[in-house]
Amino acid sequence: MSFWFTVIRQVGRNLRMTWGSQIMTLLTVSLSVLIFAFFYLIYTNMLHFGDKLGNDLSLIVYLEEEPVPEMQQQLISKIKAFDDVEEIRFISRAQAYQRFASQLGKNQDVLNDIPKDFLPPSIEVVPMKNLRSLNQVKLFSAYLARLPGTTKVQYGQDWVERFYYFTKLLSIIVLLSGTLLILTTIFMVAYTIRLTILGRQAELELLKLVGATNNYIRTPFLLEGLFQGILGSSLGIASLFVLFQWIKLHFSGPGFLNLFEFSFFSPMVGLTIIGVSILLCTLGSYSTMQKFLRI
Amino acid sequence: MSKTAETMIEMIKVSKIYPPDVVALRDISISIDVGEMFFIIGMSGAGKTTLLKLLCSMDSPSKGLIEIGGKSINQLKGSKLARLRQKIGVAYQDFKLLTDRTTAENIAISMEVSYKKPQMIRNRVRTLLEQLDLADKHDTITGELSRGEQQRVALARAIANSPTMILVDEPTGNLDATTTERVMQLLTNCNKAGATVVIATHDQSLYQHTSHRVMELRKGQLHALAETGGKTS
Ligand SMILES: Nc1ncnc2c1ncn2[C@@H]1O[C@H](COP(=O)(O)OP(=O)(O)OP(=O)(O)O)[C@@H](O)[C@H]1O
Ligand SMILES: [Mg+2]
Repeated sequence: MSFWFTVIRQVGRNLRMTWGSQIMTLLTVSLSVLIFAFFYLIYTNMLHFGDKLGNDLSLIVYLEEEPVPEMQQQLISKIKAFDDVEEIRFISRAQAYQRFASQLGKNQDVLNDIPKDFLPPSIEVVPMKNLRSLNQVKLFSAYLARLPGTTKVQYGQDWVERFYYFTKLLSIIVLLSGTLLILTTIFMVAYTIRLTILGRQAELELLKLVGATNNYIRTPFLLEGLFQGILGSSLGIASLFVLFQWIKLHFSGPGFLNLFEFSFFSPMVGLTIIGVSILLCTLGSYSTMQKFLRI
Repeated sequence: MSKTAETMIEMIKVSKIYPPDVVALRDISISIDVGEMFFIIGMSGAGKTTLLKLLCSMDSPSKGLIEIGGKSINQLKGSKLARLRQKIGVAYQDFKLLTDRTTAENIAISMEVSYKKPQMIRNRVRTLLEQLDLADKHDTITGELSRGEQQRVALARAIANSPTMILVDEPTGNLDATTTERVMQLLTNCNKAGATVVIATHDQSLYQHTSHRVMELRKGQLHALAETGGKTS
């Protein structure tokens, strides 16, 4: 108990001595956590959104003519030869017409003069969930296009592709800001701890002479790093949360953001980010101590 | 003191050579019993401080063996060294006070490192300050104290943690006769309570009438010249 009492008192002394740079470090840590968490939040939401889109993803294969049942079996086995699929639906000219008509609703009369078989027959292929990554969808569609009797394959190419590149870019930004987070926390914390150690050199020397154990000397500095980590990352996450709520409040209503239905991290993810930051900060203080305390 | 007293300090053929070739101590051999009070005298530059530094393992000998309480301290490191130092109180010649801290804080340091209870530390500091006539300096920054006052604070820090071995380097250099008397009384009390006390000094008044062993260092060599009776061992 007296151990923690003396340790906490030393931490207090350290903080008082270098409070200026302590605050700077704290801000840097929380800012890097904020930046990282911000991009990570967007990234996870995009992935989530992509998941939802992927659920609706289907490839439409247009055919030259309506396949007879025997031909249908052949096509099915050909399609399945590439990969297992969730579902295969044949859509005849008549069904296509019906669908189109019901989509038009009240304006159906425009179809009056048009023959009922003007729409081509098609196959709707719903791929397995694991086939969602763009590369495979692309390969799959190329494969389908080469089947005999097909005219073209459609799956919203442009859109899927753009989305794919966007998430790719986001993941790179997340990685970069993650690296930034790691570097700033470790280096800034290491730097302030170094300042404290240099400022207390005489005292640390004396402590060693009167028989302070290494733990006695080290623990306050480790705690300092720990506090920086806890405070800095909590502050970062908290300000992101506030920012998130603010954006939600001001940009909700019919519009772009409603399409996405943004959601905040689960508490688990937030805690993990905080935990990792704490670890990094402690690591930073530990490495400086090894260098400057020489104990 | 019984004749079968254990040995506290054992030095066998200890030499200390500072680079490049300053011989501060040469072939020192001596044993000091547990509970003994021991004076080392000698001119300035004779090597007194060097000897004490070796005893508290602040420095290591160039040659020879040093044992404290039966264990060699030559290779001591880490927590073992820390624990040894907690049991040795040293009043340095240059005080080594933290001049931006109060008197009380300076004295408390030696007790804090062995995790004494805050209440106990407070009491001990107060008693010591009273015994050394410094009661009114409790909250004074030590940088603002006079040399003599600083000297007493350094001594108080050395004995605060009730160490089993006390090393004092020139304890009365800046003190008047009365205060010297007080300081010596305090050290004698510690000694009576069982601590081994080694005092390095060139103040004749300290050892003139003592019944304890006195040895003189001359150019790094020990001479048992000033032995005054009273103690046979
Ligand atoms: N760190 C050092 N490096 C080099 N030489 C040193 C060092 N410390 C002490 N010496 C030398 O060792 C010799 C003994 O010094 P020491 O400090 O032990 O003397 P002392 O007996 O304590 O003297 P005083 O009574 O003045 O305090 C001196 O010649 C001194 O110059
Ligand atoms: Mg000296």
